[in-house]
Amino acid sequence: MTALADKILDVVRISAEDSSRAQIYRLLAALLSRAPDGTLLHAIADLQGGAGRFGEVINTLAKVADSTHEHTVRAEYQDLFIGLGRGELVPYGSYYLTGFLQEKPLAALRRDMARLGIDRSRDTSDPEDHAASVLEAMAGLIDGRFGEPATLAAQKEFQQRHLASWLPVFFRDLEAAQSSVFYAAAGTVGRTFLDIEAGAFEMV
Amino acid sequence: MTDIVTNKTSTDQAIADRRNFIKLAGASAAGAGATVATAGIAVAAAPAKPAADAQYRETAHVKQYYDTAR
Repeated sequence: MTALADKILDVVRISAEDSSRAQIYRLLAALLSRAPDGTLLHAIADLQGGAGRFGEVINTLAKVADSTHEHTVRAEYQDLFIGLGRGELVPYGSYYLTGFLQEKPLAALRRDMARLGIDRSRDTSDPEDHAASVLEAMAGLIDGRFGEPATLAAQKEFQQRHLASWLPVFFRDLEAAQSSVFYAAAGTVGRTFLDIEAGAFEMV
Repeated sequence: MTDIVTNKTSTDQAIADRRNFIKLAGASAAGAGATVATAGIAVAAAPAKPAADAQYRETAHVKQYYDTAR
């Protein structure tokens, strides 16, 4: 019981900003791991960004989500990431950093994930350096899904090594991809958010 | 917004500055609405290694136990 009580307290223990950051990382992970279903698409259409540049890009994403259909986004996801043989984009860190899959950056990521108590999900066959995987890992480090919430210093280290090193370029590619409409807006959200994160980590 | 805690590893001022920065950029409110029920799509807590360290660790298995016991 004590362990469970501690766990509940952990969820409360992080600030509203951190909780929001975790949600944004998790939303981006969800969109990149598979095409959103109708429920998620509706939830996104209902999002209301506040003031500030992130609020603007969220509002754009909500608008696009509102005007599109589940099957259209599914086709988009298919063209972007699966395709015939290969999708338009290859969303793996190793590929972005070295031009090849499963290279040294993946090994480095695996080492760091093991140290932080994070494992690949049994539900996926994707290597750990898939964009969705590192985004979700980051969300878990922030809100403590893998144990204790990580310190800001630990978050910063992981973020800079395994996300900031390539995801901004990937999100830019997503914005520019031929098949992107909904995912172009998602790419803008991702790029803008990582830029805000980079600025915030400079203060740590 | 309720500020519940401070992070012990940084100074309070740096934390406040950082929170303000995130708030001003608009990234503090937006995420709250986007609660995604995505329990471990790509990653999960690593299985505990009881022999290596005796500390309690929440594995996916333990979490499932708590979820069912709730």
